Amino acid sequence: MRIAAVIERDLRRYLRNPFMMVASVLLPLVYLVVIGNSFQGELKNMPIAVVDQDNGPYARRIIELLQAMQEGTKAIKIYRLNTQREALKLVKKGSCKAALIIPLNFSEDVVRNLKPQLGLFLDNTDSVSSKGISSLISQSLSFLKSEYVPVREEQNKTQLRLVELFKKIDYDSSLVPGAVVMAIFMGTLISGAFNFVMDKFLGVHESYLSTPLTKKDIVAGMIFSGVFITTTMSITVLIGSMLITRLKLAAGLVSFAWLVFTIVLSALGILSMMFIILGRANHPRVVGMIGGFLNVIFFFPSGAVYPIESFPNWLKAFSKVNPEAYAVHALKSIIFKGAGFAVIKGDLLYLAIFTGIMLTIATFTFKRTM
Amino acid sequence: MGYAVEVQNIVKKFPPATVAVNDVSFTIEEGEIFGFLGPNGAGKTTLIRMLTCLMLPTKGSAKIKGYDIVKEPSSVRMNFGVVSQAMTSDYDLTGWENLDIYGKYYEIPGKERHERIKYLLDIVELKERAHDLVATYSGGMRRRLELARGLIQKPYILFLDEPTIGLDPQSRRVIWELLQKIRSETKLTIFITTHYMEEADLLCDRIAIIDYGKIVALDSSTNLKKNIGGYDIIEVSLSQTKPEITEKLKILAGVKNIVQKDSTLRIYVDDAARAMPVLIDELKKMNVSILYLTVHEQSLEDVFIHYTGKSIREGESQKVSFLIGPGFPRRF
Repeated sequence: MRIAAVIERDLRRYLRNPFMMVASVLLPLVYLVVIGNSFQGELKNMPIAVVDQDNGPYARRIIELLQAMQEGTKAIKIYRLNTQREALKLVKKGSCKAALIIPLNFSEDVVRNLKPQLGLFLDNTDSVSSKGISSLISQSLSFLKSEYVPVREEQNKTQLRLVELFKKIDYDSSLVPGAVVMAIFMGTLISGAFNFVMDKFLGVHESYLSTPLTKKDIVAGMIFSGVFITTTMSITVLIGSMLITRLKLAAGLVSFAWLVFTIVLSALGILSMMFIILGRANHPRVVGMIGGFLNVIFFFPSGAVYPIESFPNWLKAFSKVNPEAYAVHALKSIIFKGAGFAVIKGDLLYLAIFTGIMLTIATFTFKRTM
Repeated sequence: MGYAVEVQNIVKKFPPATVAVNDVSFTIEEGEIFGFLGPNGAGKTTLIRMLTCLMLPTKGSAKIKGYDIVKEPSSVRMNFGVVSQAMTSDYDLTGWENLDIYGKYYEIPGKERHERIKYLLDIVELKERAHDLVATYSGGMRRRLELARGLIQKPYILFLDEPTIGLDPQSRRVIWELLQKIRSETKLTIFITTHYMEEADLLCDRIAIIDYGKIVALDSSTNLKKNIGGYDIIEVSLSQTKPEITEKLKILAGVKNIVQKDSTLRIYVDDAARAMPVLIDELKKMNVSILYLTVHEQSLEDVFIHYTGKSIREGESQKVSFLIGPGFPRRF
C-alpha cells in the first residue's frame, strides 16, 4: 500500500502537468525527424565545381556520368566553371565541397593509356563529405570506358547477387528504435530520481521522510511510477514514429508485447541507474547537466544511429555494458525482423541483470535521512 | 507514567566544527505542550530533525514514547506527526489528495482514512477548499493543511517546527487557536519550536530557552519570569556608562538586577513606581543625564535577554533571508 501511495503521488503530479506530458512525447519524435533528416544515411546534394580543360570525349563522358549521378541519386550537384582558380575559390569559400579538374589532354592520355589523371581538390575539413565525394568520383571513373550495358551476363565474370533477408527498411524507419530508446532515456530523466531531487530542492521530502515509508518504499515507488510514465511515453513515441515512417511491425501483436516488455525492462534498469547517480543531488541543475551528458554517452554508442561494429575497440567495450545498446538491439530485432524470445533473450537477460544490480544498489545507497 | 519524550545529552555536530546542538537533555510529559524558544540558528530545527529521525545524533540518545530514535526509527515514525518549518505540502495536488496520500503512507484503511480526512479538514476549516489544488491556497491555508496532515494518523506526539513562520498576524492567530482547540480535544503531546515570544507564552506549558545549541533555561513561562528576579523592568538610556554607575544603582533599594547593553541599562525592580524616583535622584547625584526611560512588565523577551545577554530579534535578523517563502528552497 505504501509503495502504491508513492506511485500515486508521482503519477498525479505528472498528470497535472500537461506541458510535461506533451513535451516528453513530442521531443523524441522531433529527435527522429531531426536525426533522420540530418544524417539521411547517405550524402545528398554535395556541391562540386567541375572544370573541363580538356573538352575531349572522355571528359564529356565523366561529366555525363556526374550528371547522371546528379539526376539519379542526387548525391551531388555540379557547378560548371571555366578555370581552376574559380573552382578552388568556391571550395575555399565553402560554397563547394570539392573541385574536379579535368586537365588538358585527358582524353588523349586515356586513349593512349598514358596514366590519365584528374585533379580532385577536397574540402577535407569536412571528412564525411570529402570521403563520400572521393568515393563517388572513383566509382564513376570505373564506368569511364563502359559504353554499353551488357545484355547477357558475362560468363567469365564473378557475379554478386544481393539477397535482402528482411523487408526493405528505409533510413527514417531504421531510426525508430533509436527514437524509442531516446524516449526511454528522457522518461527516466523527468521521473524517478528527478522527482526526488525536485522534492529535495523544494524541501518537500522532509515531510515524507518523517513518515513510516521505508527506503524500499520510496525508491521502488518512485522507480515504478517512473517506469509507468516512461513506458507510456515510449509506446506513444513508438506508435507516433511508426505512423510518421509508415513502418509496420514484422510480427504483429506478439512483436508489440515483446516491445512493451523490452521497454519496461530498459526503463526499469535506466531509472534504477539514475537513482544511484542522482539520488544524492540537491539541485535540478545537476540533473540537467548529468542528464545531458549521459544521454550522449549512452545514446550514440548504442547502435541506434551507427553500427557498433564500426566503433573503435574502447567504444565497443563501453557498448558491451551500455544498457541502451541491448535495448536498441532488442527493439531492432523485434521491429524489423519480427524476432521472438529466442533472438532477444540475451538482450533481455542482460537488461534483467543490469536492472537487478542497479535496483539493489539504488535501494542500498539511498539516504533515508537528511 | 512514562515520558513522552526523553532526551539525554544529545549532541549534533556538522563538519568541520559547527556544534548545532550541544549536550541537550530534557523530558516532556504526556499531554504537555513543550516549547523550544530561541533565535534562528540556535539548534531548534536540528533538534526536531533528530527527534523525527531525519538526522542521526552525533552523541547522546533520545526516546519517543519509549522508542529509541536511533535503534527503533520505524516505531518512532509511527508515533509522531510533524509540521516542518518549510511548506512541504504538494502544491500540484489538492488538499484532499495531500491528506489521502499521507494517510496511505500510514496504511490507514480507506473508510477510516476518509472519515479522518473529513474531520481534519473540518477542524482546520478547509472543507470548502478540499478539492482545490494547494497551489491556489494562501500561506496560512497551506499551513493549516500541513497541520491536518501532521494529525492524519492520530499521532502520539506532534512536532511543530516554527509553525507560524512567514505568516501574517491574523493567520498566526488562527493557527494558535487551532492548536489550543486540538490540545483541548485530544490531550495530544505537542513539541513546538518558535522564536515568537507571544507564541511560546500563549501555547506552552513549559519552555526551554535555547541559544547556540544549549538549553539555558527551562521552566513554565511564569516561573521563568519569576526566576530572573523582579517583576518590572526600567530600561534607561544614559549619556555615559561606567561600571561605577551600575554598581551604585545595583545597591539601591528594590533593585534586583541590572543588565547593560551599550549605553542602555535594563534594571529589574520589585516595583517600578517606587524605584524610579530613587533611581533618577541617584543618577542626578552622579551627574548622569537620562536620554530616555521606559517601564514595562517582564516578558519572555526579558527572560531571553537575561539568559543570553541579547534580544531574540538580533539572532533572528541574522538568518531571516534563510526562508524566502513557502516551498522555496533553502539551498542554492
